[in-house]
Amino acid sequence: MTAIPASRFRAPAIPRRMILPGVLLAALIVIPFAAPLITEANPIQISVRERLAPPSWEHWLGQDEFGRDRLARVLHGGQVSLMVAFLSTTLACLVGTLFGLIGAYFRGPFQFLTTRLSDVVLCFPPILLALLVVTLFGPGTVTLVAVLSILYFPAFSRIAFSEALRVSALDFVEASRALGTPSRRIVFGTILPNIAGPVSVQYSLTAAAAITIESGLSFLGLGVVPPAPSWGQMIRGARQFMNQDPLGILIPCVALTLTIYAINFFCDRLRDTLDPKGNGGGKDTTSQPTSDGQGGGAAGDVVAEVRNLRLDIPRPGQPVPVIEDVSLTLRANQCTALVGESGSGKSLSALALMGLLPGAIRQSAGTLTLRRKSGEMVDMGRLTPKQLEDVRGNDVAMIFQEPMTSLNPVHKVGAQMVEAILAHRPMPKAEARAQAIRLLTLVGINEAERRFNGYPHEMSGGMRQRVMIAMALTCEPRLLIADEPTTALDVTIQAEIIELLQKLRTDYADGLSLLFISHNLGVVAEIADRVAVMYSGQVVEEGPAKQILTDPHHPYTRALLESMPSSHEEAHSTRGDRLQAVEGTPPLPGRRPSGCTFRDRCPIALASCALDRPPLFGGSDRHVRCFRAPEATQEAA
Amino acid sequence: MTAILEVRDLNKHYPVGRKGLFGKRMMQVLRDVSLTVHPGEVLGLVGESGSGKSTIGKAVLRLIDSDSAAMTFGGHDLTALGPEDLRRLRKDMQIIFQDPYASLDPRKTIRAVLSEALDTHRLHTGAAREGRLTELLDMVGLNPAFLDRRPHEFSGGQRQRIGIARALAVEPKFIVCDEAVSALDVSIQAQVLNLLADLRVSHGISLLFISHDLSVVRFISDRVMVLYLGRVMEVGPADAVHFHPQHPYTAALVSAEPSLKHAPHRIRLEGEIPSPLSPPSGCVFRSRCPYALPACADSVPPLRPAGDNRLKACIRDDIL
Repeated sequence: MTAIPASRFRAPAIPRRMILPGVLLAALIVIPFAAPLITEANPIQISVRERLAPPSWEHWLGQDEFGRDRLARVLHGGQVSLMVAFLSTTLACLVGTLFGLIGAYFRGPFQFLTTRLSDVVLCFPPILLALLVVTLFGPGTVTLVAVLSILYFPAFSRIAFSEALRVSALDFVEASRALGTPSRRIVFGTILPNIAGPVSVQYSLTAAAAITIESGLSFLGLGVVPPAPSWGQMIRGARQFMNQDPLGILIPCVALTLTIYAINFFCDRLRDTLDPKGNGGGKDTTSQPTSDGQGGGAAGDVVAEVRNLRLDIPRPGQPVPVIEDVSLTLRANQCTALVGESGSGKSLSALALMGLLPGAIRQSAGTLTLRRKSGEMVDMGRLTPKQLEDVRGNDVAMIFQEPMTSLNPVHKVGAQMVEAILAHRPMPKAEARAQAIRLLTLVGINEAERRFNGYPHEMSGGMRQRVMIAMALTCEPRLLIADEPTTALDVTIQAEIIELLQKLRTDYADGLSLLFISHNLGVVAEIADRVAVMYSGQVVEEGPAKQILTDPHHPYTRALLESMPSSHEEAHSTRGDRLQAVEGTPPLPGRRPSGCTFRDRCPIALASCALDRPPLFGGSDRHVRCFRAPEATQEAA
Repeated sequence: MTAILEVRDLNKHYPVGRKGLFGKRMMQVLRDVSLTVHPGEVLGLVGESGSGKSTIGKAVLRLIDSDSAAMTFGGHDLTALGPEDLRRLRKDMQIIFQDPYASLDPRKTIRAVLSEALDTHRLHTGAAREGRLTELLDMVGLNPAFLDRRPHEFSGGQRQRIGIARALAVEPKFIVCDEAVSALDVSIQAQVLNLLADLRVSHGISLLFISHDLSVVRFISDRVMVLYLGRVMEVGPADAVHFHPQHPYTAALVSAEPSLKHAPHRIRLEGEIPSPLSPPSGCVFRSRCPYALPACADSVPPLRPAGDNRLKACIRDDIL
């Protein structure tokens, strides 16, 4: 067993993307404190004769309304502004995060204290609170830091609280509790690192806001006491002479903007870097596509036909083939099951047929032919978005695994159905309503009238899936694609939904073709006429369901069937029995082995299996992609 | 043989919303559940969503508090333990979760995940640590070279193995497997089931195996307990309960399971699972039971013996 060799370990050196923001931020922080090295001018030394003097060799940025050196003032002012901002933000961050963490982890009275304390502070308008404190204690740097920390601590406490609440509910925190790890270690060792991202973003926003508020208060004369410089003080002074000397107001403003930008830039990058998943992505290896099409014209009952579909993720250099070669023929009144494990590409193939491919994936070969109700044949891969909209719903519809996420929770079920009907077929509202209720009855919903006026959350999972099926059927499509429609349901409900789909297939006027995607071979055995088994982006075996499930020819299909506990009713772990598990895991796209993609897990692989990708062997009814299958040996003979 | 875990009359309510000005509406998720797990035994818990099976798993580990129950674990009264004693006892009881993606801290390396377990109980400290970590990964079939990788570098099946290694690190006597193989693909599920089966043999660990998948539970468990709406419907040896159910709910559940060999007849259950806020009087299953009698509404049917080592909560003997 090998791990997915996704990323190299993060080097102890600073990641490259942190260099630019790091240098920028460091420069903006260091430069003000390096003021004595840059200029010897005294920021508070007044020289009235040289007031508003333009830049010169002695005074690079000129002199202000009292003839003080602007460069010295902007640098020394920066010291004060930055110190106040960072001190207060850090203080607020420490206290707020601590409150939030403790409140969320221990709940009870701690939660009450955290949330209520924040609420109380938030009740005061921030500027008013600041003015109040400054008026009481008098202006000054210490007062400023205190005011800003009080002002900003609720933001941290709230973010830390809600994030910690979310993280506390995750299984790995529960696992730590089950291990008996002390609370202190769970809070600071496990929860804190996991909420660091949002908190650090909040830190950047707050630090930036603190700089502006500090400037604002100093501007009002409530912050730093003159003549000590600060950016707010500078703006306050320069404001009166704005017309004669725009440079004076420009300098502190540029300093402010640059600093705030640098902080935000740094924190954004920091958050990306702290995320352990941000470093993924490996090098792609070359894989040779095979192109061999099976013959067979589109007979009258063929509703859709996928031929030699190939989907790639475009990458500089070599595109990664997600789907290498998929061909399917879907006939009227027939249920074809697409079987495979996660990552085999079964859902992507179906999405391609719906014209719903995610943006990152591109179809690079193959055709996706769909017969419209008019008899017209269209290629779903080549339609314009407008044409696709018309085809979807009308000729092909899809239902998904999670019925809750597919229904809008704030609208009534009936309204959503009527909307779906009217989107494709303009008709009077009353007629659409009658149609919707008829459909709800058709999918076996009791009291359809009452449910029509209900909301999705009032329904159970099974009922919501019935509603989804009803909505998919509104325009009587010829093809219904069901992507794991029963996986999220309990077994008894699953049985009912399968029964319903069976019934619809036989009762449906036009002869519905069903493409049923599932990983559950038991379900497939109950519903499918034909089965296509997918492994690592290819169909490896395809044919009549009964034959495939009772007499699989591909070693992967055999392995799938044998690894199911239900196919070994006599076996039991207490008797020392084992399930016949196939070792290893499916390869990732782009890391597939040469030759047969299954060979490194295959119990019957030969050395020659590594040479070429096996084509689909077999006649018209049954195909298998294996050099050792009976079909292949027959063809060779 | 003395039981390692013994639970008597476990009850659990959750407050939901409000009733009147001061009252709280209570939802009963578990009602009078009693169970026993013997050393080295696997007890399977099956039931549909809302049956309370996961709540049992968390309650016996005291990850959540139960309303009233007598629980003993290895001779200790679980309900009376103080925080420090409980922490010490956690070394002996562990849990494996369903979601291999949520159950590992994305920021910790595998070494850190496993070390947390060992540090907490001061096991294999110092020079012995490295050997133990290697041994643990070996035990669950992972390459020890993976120690310094983070969870996102692993597949779902591999993560589940890491979760198992974490549980095994403290050498527990008892592990709750909460849908531990449900999120895995079939071929990977078989690997993990084999691993669990091997571990119980080699380490004599008892398991409380919670799953909605009947055939998985039948394969791994010695005995099976069937739950419906927080109540025990039937308990008995795994094969017997699966192939010869005595309770109509078990029969319906087994018949609903999709199988490669087509089920001869499916017992259809009418309606939906009732809300736990207002369960039916008497037998909670009666509203959907094809065999219900008027008498079923009168009183809660007690769990009573039904042949070799089996119990059922059904008043009828003339069916099935």
